[in-house]
Amino acid sequence: MSLKLLVLEDDDGIRTALSLAMEDEGYDVVEAPSAEAALQLVQRNPPDLMLVDLMLGGMDGFSFIREVRPTSQAPIIVLSAKTDTHDIVAALEAGADDYVTKPFQVKEIGARLRALRRRAGVTVAAAGNPPTEQSTLTLDSERGPLVLDVGAGVVRRGGEEVHLTLTEFRLLCELASPAGRVLSRRSLLERVWERGYFGDERIVDVHVRRLRTKIEANPNAPQLVVTVRGQGYRLDLR
Amino acid sequence: MKGPWSTWGLRGTVTASFALGALIVSTLFAVGTYLTARHYLMDQRQATALRQAYADASFVLDGLLGRDARIPDVLTSVKPAADSELIVRKDDRWYSSSLARGPQSIPAEVQGGVVDGTVMYAWASSDDQPALVVGIPLLGAGAEFYEIVSTSELRSTLTTLATVLAAFAVLATLAGAGFGRLASRRLMAPLDDVATAAARIGAGGLQTRLPPTDDPDLATIVGSFNSMVEALDERIQRDARFAADLGHELRSPLTALVASVQVIERRRDELSPRTQRALNLVSSELDRFQQTLEDLLELGRLDAGVRSQVFSEVDAGELVRVSLEQSRHDPALLRVVTTDDGSATDLTVRVDKQQLGRALVNLFDNADRHAGGVRAVTVQRVRDRIRIDVDDRGDGVPEPDRERIFERFVRAGSRGSLPGSGLGLSIVAETAISLGGQVWCEDAPGGGARFSVELPVAPRQAPFEVQLADHAGAR
Repeated sequence: MSLKLLVLEDDDGIRTALSLAMEDEGYDVVEAPSAEAALQLVQRNPPDLMLVDLMLGGMDGFSFIREVRPTSQAPIIVLSAKTDTHDIVAALEAGADDYVTKPFQVKEIGARLRALRRRAGVTVAAAGNPPTEQSTLTLDSERGPLVLDVGAGVVRRGGEEVHLTLTEFRLLCELASPAGRVLSRRSLLERVWERGYFGDERIVDVHVRRLRTKIEANPNAPQLVVTVRGQGYRLDLR
Repeated sequence: MKGPWSTWGLRGTVTASFALGALIVSTLFAVGTYLTARHYLMDQRQATALRQAYADASFVLDGLLGRDARIPDVLTSVKPAADSELIVRKDDRWYSSSLARGPQSIPAEVQGGVVDGTVMYAWASSDDQPALVVGIPLLGAGAEFYEIVSTSELRSTLTTLATVLAAFAVLATLAGAGFGRLASRRLMAPLDDVATAAARIGAGGLQTRLPPTDDPDLATIVGSFNSMVEALDERIQRDARFAADLGHELRSPLTALVASVQVIERRRDELSPRTQRALNLVSSELDRFQQTLEDLLELGRLDAGVRSQVFSEVDAGELVRVSLEQSRHDPALLRVVTTDDGSATDLTVRVDKQQLGRALVNLFDNADRHAGGVRAVTVQRVRDRIRIDVDDRGDGVPEPDRERIFERFVRAGSRGSLPGSGLGLSIVAETAISLGGQVWCEDAPGGGARFSVELPVAPRQAPFEVQLADHAGAR
């Protein structure tokens, strides 16, 4: 069964062309010309992936992402103008997973979507198997305890699920294999986002920040995902 | 403002005017003071001398009227004041109380007057000694009495006075010059502010404004200067906004167009050969259109300045290697120059790597389009700069074109070279400048052209902001 892709874009030309191109890539495309329409579609029929334009008439892309994020963990790719680099960070802060700048190559969107799908594949593949000894990892034995269950694709604090997006979950998995190793921003960018040398390292920083707000006791004084100055990030087990 | 003063400068003119004014006033004052004092002192001295002469004359007359009076004895008995000499003429014979003084010391008009029976006096100078000569006819004795009063004391007093007054005049002139200097500095200070502000604006600081002032004389210039900058800033922003808007407006249809053409490309096999050729044309022209638009937008971003740059610290050698790979060039073309002992050199630069990477690819692209390809790329450290040299296989760039080719839409390329956007090299130049570096073109040692980009080495220990913020909390 093909994956359902929501395309939220108010420009008819781009939306139609993008839909045609994405259908060629094998997606089941749902089009939405406005954020309001997209919200209804998401409620009725949750998509697996989303392409969201930031500049929309009425409700904008940022608000849409913030609105949809608490309930949907589906990867979101933002379509943005590169000139507005602060918009990109704002969209990532709002909960977007990655971005593509206009005018984009359809090939690039295809590649970005594939990278996100592969991430989804980690959990889908492991979901079939019962959790094994190795697939769970206690991150914080003092508070909760906080457990990363790679097999089930979830993080639990005291048995209750902590809602991580797929990107945050994948980021945590990379840092956890094995814990205590320093990973540079660039290598995280390659592993999680499959972006090359010229990738934007701010994506990593923003997602680490978001991850911290969800798993750290005090996100301003992180004790699990710590910054190693000049080198990158490291996961410390407690 | 050409004039006789222009070589002096405003400051010099003001200073000189103040000094000249002070000189005139103080000289007039000094001369006036001197003349008044001199007149008064000479009157005084004259009155004293006359009084004394009358007293001495009556004494001498008394002596002469005495019996068997001998004139020398009379003169001796008078005992005149220390600075005066007495001379008596009787029966055409001269008698003097001093050997130094004689009839030759007496001015002719004095003697003439006395002979005619009137009291005469005159300022005279004999033997360099200033003196007042008073002549009194001693009618009762048939003699003439002269008293020569030395006034060298008065002269030295006047000399001292003149010296002091001259000194004060000089001091006043110097003080005037000093005040002029201060006043001109005070006057020039606002002009200096204007000059500094103008220089800052020229360097791109369009937010610069002159601080508001309460001085009614300056309010006008400050006001008009600020409104000029305001208008300029607005104009530039409007132009930049227009360019950006144009780019954005073109981007939407272009994006739709590119995506649609890619959909058609997938179904190329379904098209007739004739349509395929048309599609090839559409594709390649669309690529060029997109490249030009992206170049224009990139230049717009560079114009907008650092606000849109994403800085990180990268190794220049690695950046060049990756750029070569990504633009499908042989990474073996790269040569990284190490130090003499072969140890690794610090080639870290703080740049927007996407931007610099794009600029490098533009250089490689330029070599491919116009000069038969890239021959060698060298990365080396030259003191506190990193230099990246890109040598090509062409015939070099003629001397007159070496600066011009970095301008927008200037194509100095050889005939038959592939058309580019005409913006590639200007992006290289503006990228280098925005990163605090520079770019130039020269002949490569082995023939062909060499394009060099020079960038400052990243300052040591400049961690990312995020790292700084987190460090305190890290264990």
